[in-house]
Amino acid sequence: MYIGEPVLRREDEKFLRGKGQYVDDIRLTEPIAHAAYTRTPHAHAKIVNISTNKAASMPGVLAVLTGRDWLDAGFGEADGVWPVKDKDGKTANTVNRPFLAVEKVRYVGECVAMVIAEDRYQALDAAEAVEVSYDVLPANAVTSKALDEDAPILHEELGTNLVLETHHGNKFAVDEAFSKASHITEVEVPSNRVTACPIEPRSYLGHYDPINDQYTFWSSTQAPHIVRKYFTNSMRIPEHKLRVIAPDVGGGFGMKLYHYPEEPTVLWAAKVVGKPVRWTGTRSESLVSDTHARDHFTRGKIAFDTNGKILAMSFRTMAAYGAYEGQFQASIANAYHYCLLSCGYDIPAIYAEIKGVYTNSTPVDAYRGAGRPEAVYQVERLIENAAHELGIDPLELRERNLIQANQMPYKTAVDITYNVADLPVLMTKAKKLARYDELREEQENLRKKGIYMGIGTCVFFDMAGAGPTKMMNELGAKIGCYDVASCRVHPSGKVTIFAGSHSHGQAHETTWSQIAADRLGCDIEDIELVEGDTDRVPFGIGTWGSRSLSTAGMAVAVSADRIIEKANKLAAHMLECAVEDLIREEGGFTVKGTDRSITFADVADAAYHRGDRPEGLEIGLEETVFYDPKDCNYPSAVHICVVLVDPKTGNVTLRDYTAVDDVGTIINPMVLEGQVHGGLVQGIGQALMEECAYDSETGQYVSGTFMDYAMPRASDLPSFALDSYTTLDPDNPLGIKGAGESGTLGAPACVCNAIVDAIWGLGVQQVTQPMTPRKIWHAIQNANGN
Amino acid sequence: MFEFEYHRPESIEAAVKILKDIREGQPLAGGMSLVPTMKLRLSEPRELVDLNAIADLRGIYREGDNLVIGAMTRHTEVAKSEIVLDAIPAIAQLAGGIGDPLCRNRGTIGGSVAFNDPVADYPAGLIGLDAKIHTSERVIAADEFFDELYETALVKGELVTKIVFPLPEKAGWAKFSNLASRYAIVAVMVSISGGIARVAVTGAKNKVFRVSEMEARLNESFAADAIKDIKISPDGMNADIHADAKYRSNLVNVLAVRAVESASA
Amino acid sequence: MSDNEVSMKVNGSTVSAKLDSRTLLVHFLREHLNLTGTHVGCDTSQCGACTVHVNGIPAKSCSIFAVQLENAEVTTIEGVANGNDLHPMQKAFRDNHGLQCGYCTPGMIMQAIDIARRYDKPTEHEIRHELEGNLCRCTGYHNIVKSVKAGVKAIHDT
Repeated sequence: MYIGEPVLRREDEKFLRGKGQYVDDIRLTEPIAHAAYTRTPHAHAKIVNISTNKAASMPGVLAVLTGRDWLDAGFGEADGVWPVKDKDGKTANTVNRPFLAVEKVRYVGECVAMVIAEDRYQALDAAEAVEVSYDVLPANAVTSKALDEDAPILHEELGTNLVLETHHGNKFAVDEAFSKASHITEVEVPSNRVTACPIEPRSYLGHYDPINDQYTFWSSTQAPHIVRKYFTNSMRIPEHKLRVIAPDVGGGFGMKLYHYPEEPTVLWAAKVVGKPVRWTGTRSESLVSDTHARDHFTRGKIAFDTNGKILAMSFRTMAAYGAYEGQFQASIANAYHYCLLSCGYDIPAIYAEIKGVYTNSTPVDAYRGAGRPEAVYQVERLIENAAHELGIDPLELRERNLIQANQMPYKTAVDITYNVADLPVLMTKAKKLARYDELREEQENLRKKGIYMGIGTCVFFDMAGAGPTKMMNELGAKIGCYDVASCRVHPSGKVTIFAGSHSHGQAHETTWSQIAADRLGCDIEDIELVEGDTDRVPFGIGTWGSRSLSTAGMAVAVSADRIIEKANKLAAHMLECAVEDLIREEGGFTVKGTDRSITFADVADAAYHRGDRPEGLEIGLEETVFYDPKDCNYPSAVHICVVLVDPKTGNVTLRDYTAVDDVGTIINPMVLEGQVHGGLVQGIGQALMEECAYDSETGQYVSGTFMDYAMPRASDLPSFALDSYTTLDPDNPLGIKGAGESGTLGAPACVCNAIVDAIWGLGVQQVTQPMTPRKIWHAIQNANGN
Repeated sequence: MFEFEYHRPESIEAAVKILKDIREGQPLAGGMSLVPTMKLRLSEPRELVDLNAIADLRGIYREGDNLVIGAMTRHTEVAKSEIVLDAIPAIAQLAGGIGDPLCRNRGTIGGSVAFNDPVADYPAGLIGLDAKIHTSERVIAADEFFDELYETALVKGELVTKIVFPLPEKAGWAKFSNLASRYAIVAVMVSISGGIARVAVTGAKNKVFRVSEMEARLNESFAADAIKDIKISPDGMNADIHADAKYRSNLVNVLAVRAVESASA
Repeated sequence: MSDNEVSMKVNGSTVSAKLDSRTLLVHFLREHLNLTGTHVGCDTSQCGACTVHVNGIPAKSCSIFAVQLENAEVTTIEGVANGNDLHPMQKAFRDNHGLQCGYCTPGMIMQAIDIARRYDKPTEHEIRHELEGNLCRCTGYHNIVKSVKAGVKAIHDT
């Protein structure tokens, strides 16, 4: 049995030896030209004129291209794949997005022109020599001001900066509950803008073969088929003429899903100059041009009865989408976000009013959690503050309100149904692992010595595994949300699996092989996985949203099952027995009660080369399954952490972090833990240090390099204590749930709650994320009237 | 980055000659500050004079009551040196907190001193310890060496060759780092020698400065209590997305106290 | 312009080239020698994905010009294994799930090998501080720390 085992990763050898093939590593038989982009330094401006003559005459320059050239070539603008509507069917205020700006620029870093040259320095030099004159306009990058009367309008044709306003839950029920409440807590809980920062910057390589009129495009992407689909709209290339290859990808986290300006323009440039063209972003380019995330401004209220039971919660949120919608469009804040507003609590009434807005900032799109960390954060901060206001232990208050096991399946007040979980068990396990009672004692002792220790917690569900295609279409998706696996058994009995997912660190080569090996009854070494090539893999939806296990992983399982179903029939025929008389032994087929057996390889060979077969059984041993899941799935978790706050400097030391996750059946516990660790640190980064900062007056982007965008480092962090508990998802045969985003959902809430717990006694009730030392210090000073 | 001529002299004399002769010569030490600025096109030297082959610029040794550190000595070497740890552990602590371990393997004391980044650590360390900067032409006291924002007393073609630290009776270093860059938001070097205290602050303003009020109190009593109530005005202090002036002024006080405590430990 | 001749040893073999002085060591390795295991992840000398050994000491190859390394000995990730046998530190990373996307891994391993050179039994705190110049976005560092600890032990036990 492989499933459930911490099988070491099969893909590691090449990475350990430095033999990974990321897009920037790819070498072709012909020299590759370099692309560089001219980006605007202005947050909002009309483009008056673009002059490319100087750049075009510089040494080594092969071409200088603008947005006007793009339109003249007959190409299109970007549209998204998730046009969300509100409940009344009103569509969002969507605009198409130019790849190279033509009339106007709307965020610092937007691409205005492109240079292709023989070498990197020539391209950079010429990109700086493109002369662009602008009429600078007032800009606004402050989310809460986007709908002010004097806010500069980004898209004149809309006449508004509103993208979409949606309401969720039941306002009437909530208002009624608040009128009867014995206690109400209110908090303003902005969720800071962050960005994915995978260590591999985005990189694209385009190649055009004029003889066969065939395009090849290597992209550091999470979803190669979706990229190919984008090209049908952007460059109008039919899908059968384009091969998209996602080789090794150095981290994606949801950010590498967008059809960035550099993507189609690199391929276009390859056709224009008649040479392969590559662009690899610098980190400065990444920080300003990779899609950003979160950036919500929320006012929340929570109502309790006299027993500390939650009666209702109400939220008013303004969510920034940036200058243009992302590929996921308004689904991030106006669809995904609200789904988790019940968190892990039994809340009879919830109401959320969400306004998605345009601001002069980089477009906001999916990033690990995609709208859901913001939901967990705002709920958990409210409960934390309420606990302190009520004088009830923060975990005790949560335990009073936990959704109980006997309430499952639980339909939340925002109409999402959590199907299985046992939150009280998770809470018990987390408290035990974190030694909670001892922690409270320690906290008290330390406070007497003037040391401020805080304990934070959170309890939440995730909505993972997007999702049934019909359900996703109803939520606005224009793409399918299944995934695909082809299980190809070769005549020798070895197996290649082609999967529509794309691993960029999630270990599919190991875990999909574990699933297939168990279902096929063969050795894991007999299996190879192919992902990331649209010429080899049927149309897949890619890896994001903690979805691959419950879609592609299931497709692998079902395709393997179908293989065995067919193999059984052929084996029975070869062994002249009934299918029911066969047993699987050591990968082969044995007639029960005898020693007559054949190997899997025998059957595979027969499948291709033996004419004598059962009536109606087709030649071959290959099955393709497009697996459309029955539902999303709902993993759950409880986190507890410990911080130490130095009130003299505001410094926070994160000392301990405990997480107990229910992700259903665990395919590989080692891989699962790694996913949780990684998500936790990204969440901790959001809580403590990361921010894409914009000047509130000018919209100028200030966090341009890692000197200003703080990345969590090993020395900032503790090791983690993890545990798990399994309730099986009822909607897929393996009982699995997604796991990849759990850390980012919980950590911001948990860490921030711990800080508040530490300094509540000093009069501080809220610090905005990221809770940096400076902000914490000021909050303490302000509370003391300094 | 822009093209440049590369020179690799093997002696101090050869390096000085090149730097005096050529128009826009830029010495290259560890490269951990210079090379990134060249990559980001913030600086455009056309002639680079690599000092890494000059053996005479390296070395750590005691000379009577002085600790001598050659200009091309790497931060890692200073941080781990038994000689430094014995003579002035506060300097080892300072060196060991610069940037990250990989930067410390290349970065040099001479480079840091000549560059005078207002958030760098060594300038405060030198002033706080009353060090002498030996160059290819003269000896300059630390108090006179560092000007504002990347400016120093060095003239064209003049190279830092070694730093000489008189051994203090006590010295302590305290730094509060910017979470992103790992440079100082504020850092303080405190020392006392022959009844004269020094308190040197980096990161708070555009130039390392001494806090004379604290020094006066420490002259009387070298103890944290002597200075813990001294508030420094935030006027003229730096403000950016990481720290405002008021916060920096608070850190000056807190870190000076911690430096004194560390010196006395 | 500025063609400079330089000759150095890379992974034990002597290489000579005539280079534009601007050529960073990382680009020399990746583009001239096709050793693409050393990676670029930032432009402010912070991420450490470009870490190699120069004369036995780990350094960020993005901040050194190739022409500076006349007669130097450079070791990259490609030079660490012993033929088919992985270096004990590489094995430790594999055995402890110390990598996910693999992009920061070569730099991590080069620094980790140096940690083993300087420490017999580093504590977790020491390992974490020694890794301050190597960023990872996938693993959360937990298993990297475990890998380094195991690798140091394996190296010293043999």
